[in-house]
This record gives sequence, C-alpha cells and structure tokens, in this order.
Amino acid sequence: MAAADSPSAALRRRDLCSRGIRLAGKMRSDVIDLLDTYVERQGLDASASVVTVEGVPVAAVERWDEQTGTQRLLENLTAYRAFRVLLAQMLEEHREQLGDADTGLGRALAAVLLQVSAFAYHLEELLRLESRGPPSEEGTAPPPVPHLGLFERKLRGLGVLRELAQWAVRSARDLRQLTKPSPGSSSAPSWAESP
Amino acid sequence: DSHIQYERVGADVTMKCGSMDWDAAVTWTANGTDIDESHLNGSYLILKNVDLTRSGQYSCYEGSSWHLKYQTYLRVGTPPKEPVLMCRSNNYPKGFYCSWHLPTPTYIPNSFNISVIHGTKEMVCEKDIYPKNRCHIRYLQLFSTVKYKVTLTVTNALGKNSTTLTFDEVAIVKPDPPESVVAKPVPNNPRRLEVSWQNPSSWPDPESFPLKFFLRYRPLILDQWQHVELSDGTSHTITDAYAGKEYIIQVAAKDNDIGTWSDWSVAVHATPWTEEPKHLTTEAQITDTTSASTSSFMPPPTTKICDKGAVVGS
Repeated sequence: MAAADSPSAALRRRDLCSRGIRLAGKMRSDVIDLLDTYVERQGLDASASVVTVEGVPVAAVERWDEQTGTQRLLENLTAYRAFRVLLAQMLEEHREQLGDADTGLGRALAAVLLQVSAFAYHLEELLRLESRGPPSEEGTAPPPVPHLGLFERKLRGLGVLRELAQWAVRSARDLRQLTKPSPGSSSAPSWAESP
Repeated sequence: DSHIQYERVGADVTMKCGSMDWDAAVTWTANGTDIDESHLNGSYLILKNVDLTRSGQYSCYEGSSWHLKYQTYLRVGTPPKEPVLMCRSNNYPKGFYCSWHLPTPTYIPNSFNISVIHGTKEMVCEKDIYPKNRCHIRYLQLFSTVKYKVTLTVTNALGKNSTTLTFDEVAIVKPDPPESVVAKPVPNNPRRLEVSWQNPSSWPDPESFPLKFFLRYRPLILDQWQHVELSDGTSHTITDAYAGKEYIIQVAAKDNDIGTWSDWSVAVHATPWTEEPKHLTTEAQITDTTSASTSSFMPPPTTKICDKGAVVGS
C-alpha cells in the first residue's frame, strides 16, 4: 500500500494524472476517427453489434465508484497491455491483407497503437509511485492469434476499437477519481483504500 | 348488467336490451334522455358511425314495468398510435430515464408497459410518481459497449402498439442546462461583461464527470450570436462587448467526454459599464445614479423569454 504521500509524490501523481487525462481524451477522439475509417474501409455496418470478443478487455464495470485507486490503475494497465498486443496483431493483419494499398488506415492504426503504448507506460509510472510498482509483463505470453475468417477478423477489429474507445473514457474518469481528495483529507488519498 | 363498452370512432354499434326479445316493447335512454325511435330496430338500439359525442350511459327499460333491463357505459375512442419514446441521462453516471407520450389522444384509458434490456439482462425501470409517463433506470454497469434496448408497449381496449429504441450508454447523455446564470458589468470596463453560472444540480459528480460549457451572447440590436466554448470553470469574462449595448447571454453544458449538449440556459441580460456623463448639474451630481442596470440585480420590467430554439440542445 502507498505510504503517506510525500508532497513531491503527490505533485508528481497529480501531474501524471492530469497529463494522463489529456492523453486519454486525445486517444479517444483518435480512436473514434479510426473507428469511422475502419468501418468504412472494411465495409462494415456502423451499427453492427459485436458480441464480446474473446481476449479483448471489456471496459464495462459494475460498482465503478467503489473501486480503489490501485484497482483502477491495475485494471487499466492490464487492459492497455492487451490492447497493445491486439492493435499490433491488427496492424500485422492489415499489412498482410492490403500491403501498401491502404496506408491511411495503417497509419491511423499505428498512431493509436503508439498512444496505447504511451498510455500503458504512463500507468506504469503512476504505479511506480506506489511501493508495489507495476506488475511485470514477463511470463505473460500474448494470447495466440485466433484462426478466423476475413469477416470474423474484421468484426473482431471492430470489437477491439469499440472497447478501446470506451476504455479511453473510463481511463479519464479513473484518473480524475485519483486526483479527487477523499472527504476530510487535504491531500490526494493513498490509493489502496480510496474509491 | 352494467359495464363499459368500448367502440372505435366511426363504428356502427348495436345494443341488445339484455335478455329481452327482439320484438319486446322497450325504452332506451342516453344519459337519462329518451332516445328517438328512429335509432331502434325492434328492441335493439342501433348507433351508426359513432363519434366521441356518443360516449355516455345507455339504459334500456322494459316497456310496461319500467324495469331496468340493461345498462352500459359506452366509451368511444381510438386504438393507440405508435408511442413517442425518449431516453436520456441527465444525471450520468447514476442512470437514465425514459419518457413517452402518445402522438394523438385515444379518449379511452391506456396502459403502458416498458422493458429495458441490456445485452441479455432485463433491467428495472422504476416508475416516477410524477410525471406519470416516465421511469428511470439505474446503471448497473458503466463504460459498456453493449447497447440498451427499450421497448414501450401501449394497450387499450381497442388495440395495441409499441416502439423500440436501441442506443449506446454514451449516446443519451445530455445534461440539464446550467443554472444560476448571472451577468454583471465590470466597473471601469465599457467592453466587458462578467458571466458566471453553476453546474446543473441534477449532475451528480462534476469532479469525476466534468462538464464543459458553451456560451453564446449578442447585443439585443443584432441577431448574430457570438460563441465561446469553455472546457473548465463556471465563469467567463466577455471582453469584446459593444459599449453601452444591452446584451442577452445563454449557456449550455456537455459532458467533457461523451453525449450531447444540453438545451440553452434561461437567458440573462446585462449592459456593460458606461462612463458617467461629465456635464451633470449639481442636483444630478448629488443623486447617486447607478450607471449600470443589470437584469441580474433588478428583474427587467418585462422578462423576455428568449427563443429556446437550441443551436445546441435540440
């Protein structure tokens, strides 16, 4: 658990949180743009409902307001590490499928992948402010790429981007929660306990 | 026997006098008034192409004994048309409400049934005491990509109809307008107006779910609005006001990340500070004249309810 925060750690955290909120906001708008491009280029129906896709972190959460700060950060980090792998797979598949034919979509995918990686690093920085630090990634092999037909892969990609768009909103909310002073305390809470 | 009988507008209605034979001598009344023989076919009462005015109490009495043999309350109406359904979250992330109305009246009682499905889960829509045609749903999950499906079914004695909405959690988030909008002149600044407002009281957690705002203002003498978007804070200083001109000002709100803009707030009026005229006579100088008249301090003689035609909130 986090010891009582030194002022510099609290300041550092506040700074990381507010920068993270801005990054999440930017990521969300880029993902929304990417979603529109993806739907159009892949010939999908924007309103297509995608059943929960295996291996894609779901942003939906119950009793969100009761989560502790550490839970928020850990769940966020797990999700963005998974998205990093999923987006890399999508980018690879895109290149195999279209080569240089559609660089626009490829560039947009690569840009979002970059932001996801940056956000994951950001979360690790925040967790380093806690005595425990971020969980290591060693030994967690990425999930095998499922053998899917072209249309299933496209739907899977849609599911990934939709969840990522929701995660970006959730992450901004989570980080705002972290900057909220808990009732009765002047400084930001130690995250282990605070919702 | 006495009961309620529902018939459609335009229908032809035949009423039998209870168990009386066709050729029995009877008398029919409508709301206590005898009905003309021309409407009778034997002891049957025939009402052609009924309209709303035909609604009322119909009674049949045996000819000689005046025993009441049959009584019904006729209600003429229409089956329900497809109801208009709207769902909205003005207190995100607590929940959302759905409200409905019928596009045209049916003139007879209707019953409404609403079902809210999220993925495979049925959610409870708790009816509000007031207004009647509204219920609210608590979010069990946040940040879900699974759509909500709301189906409203309306039923009355003459028919049934329904409507369905499918939407994402984020799409229906629309705050109420900002409250307590105040505009004040800034002393010694003939081109400035200070505007402040508050988050809508219905928005539960502005800290975690901050709102951004849209301010529009124009001098009354012009039609063209000026706009400014503000991503934090609940005040703004207009610095380019025309000196001495009365301004009308409104504010709208939106969640920082999702949803749509609120409707415009109630309009407020203000006039920038103006220099005191120098050539005042002694008497005028004694009188403490307040140069600025601001509606926020004194209710304008006539409060102009501005067109709420929302650039933002419609």
